[in-house]
Amino acid sequence: MIRVSGLCKEYRAEGKTHRVLSNVSLTVNRGEKVAVLGRNGAGKSTLMRLIGGVEVPTSGQIEREMSISWPLGLQGGFQGSLTGNDNMRFIARIYNKPFDYIRAYVDDFAELGRYLSEPLKTYSMGMRARFAFALSLAIDFDCYLVDEVIAAGDQRFQRRSHEELFERRADRSMILASHISDIVKAYCSRALVLHRGRGKVFDDLQLAIDIYNEL
Amino acid sequence: MNEARGVRMFRRGFAVQCRVIGALTIREIYTRFGRQSLGFAWIVAEPLVFAIPVLLMWRAIRGSHEHGVSVMPFLWSGYLPLLLFRHLGGRVLMFISANAGLLYHRRVTIFDIFVGRALLEIGGNIAALIVSFALLYAIGAVDVPRNLPMFYVGYFFMIWWAVAAALIVGGLSERSDWVAQIWMPYSYMYMVFSGFFYLADWLPPALRYVALCQPYTQAYEMIRAGVFGGVIRTYGDPGYAAFILAALTLFGLWLMREGRKYVVVE
Repeated sequence: MIRVSGLCKEYRAEGKTHRVLSNVSLTVNRGEKVAVLGRNGAGKSTLMRLIGGVEVPTSGQIEREMSISWPLGLQGGFQGSLTGNDNMRFIARIYNKPFDYIRAYVDDFAELGRYLSEPLKTYSMGMRARFAFALSLAIDFDCYLVDEVIAAGDQRFQRRSHEELFERRADRSMILASHISDIVKAYCSRALVLHRGRGKVFDDLQLAIDIYNEL
Repeated sequence: MNEARGVRMFRRGFAVQCRVIGALTIREIYTRFGRQSLGFAWIVAEPLVFAIPVLLMWRAIRGSHEHGVSVMPFLWSGYLPLLLFRHLGGRVLMFISANAGLLYHRRVTIFDIFVGRALLEIGGNIAALIVSFALLYAIGAVDVPRNLPMFYVGYFFMIWWAVAAALIVGGLSERSDWVAQIWMPYSYMYMVFSGFFYLADWLPPALRYVALCQPYTQAYEMIRAGVFGGVIRTYGDPGYAAFILAALTLFGLWLMREGRKYVVVE
């Protein structure tokens, strides 16, 4: 279970304090897939980074009772000048997994072939997304933080991701930040709608999508 | 929580931390020196490339003796600690923001990143110390330090100082760009006032008193006492040095922890 309560995050820029998240609360149970809906700049990515522990909240609590992936987005988490293989080696060492297993899994799932021995900065957005997602599946977390990344892959990748997360790992949780309602409908059962830093959880996904579309 | 469970959790946490630091160190070697086999040798060669020409040039300019002390051992025992301080300090400037990408992995803490870098710099410096000693010893420019234990103690304090200073510089540089600007002139001035150039004994008493307040001057005094033995008069005080370095280390650790709050990850 992940329990987020009263989360606030402020940034300082040009001498002013700017509040990005204001008193956001959310609970994610084991096996639940929760969407985070919001327009650009609503605080989706910030929330993901805080839950993932990349940044520290200004105030509020995050209790983590399961292992949580790093936020899987279009950037972050990797060294662009290192090859795919070297990035995998680093991650494998950190999480204490055998490199051969990780490599075989990523090779099969992301279908990047010879690109794995090229520096990551030469990858396209879609390739990066596939690489990040495959690698996090190989590490095997209880909860995946997915920041729009599935949408970056092609159709075949989206189909395989869906299979992997819902059929083989139905007991895993996911928090999916997106502004594409079709993807949200395909993956999630509940939603947190973020607007100007404030958030509200809806158990009725369709209602959440309708409200989001009105924003 | 009972005690046995606490110990077990501590052990597991410690094992994770060691693994992460190991992974970071290897990664640092790859990103800095590339993956060719010479890459690793560069860790040792880098300080040497700085040190050897400078040492030989100084020898040529300043002759073989000064204040009754032979110049080569004096410079050798002064320049390598200086390199350690400058390289370690330089590598931690803004190191939290520069490595923010690594913080995506929650197991990686800024402390791990710091330790990984510090270990690499210290390891490289010690290797360079040994290799440069061997080279200079082979050409008869330096001798085995007369009081080896004292030399080790002094060098230990020098490493401690470099680490404490790096913690402070690294933590402060996240708060203000000024630190990076000040670092360059400071690290040059450091050559003059650190004790690289002088023995406390050569200073007038008032100035000597001020100089000896500095932890690095203390460490230099001990290193010189190790190199030259009873031939010179030195003023190193391990108790004072340990006290002030412990205080600086705690301050640095606090700054580093606070620095985390200022980090915005892309």
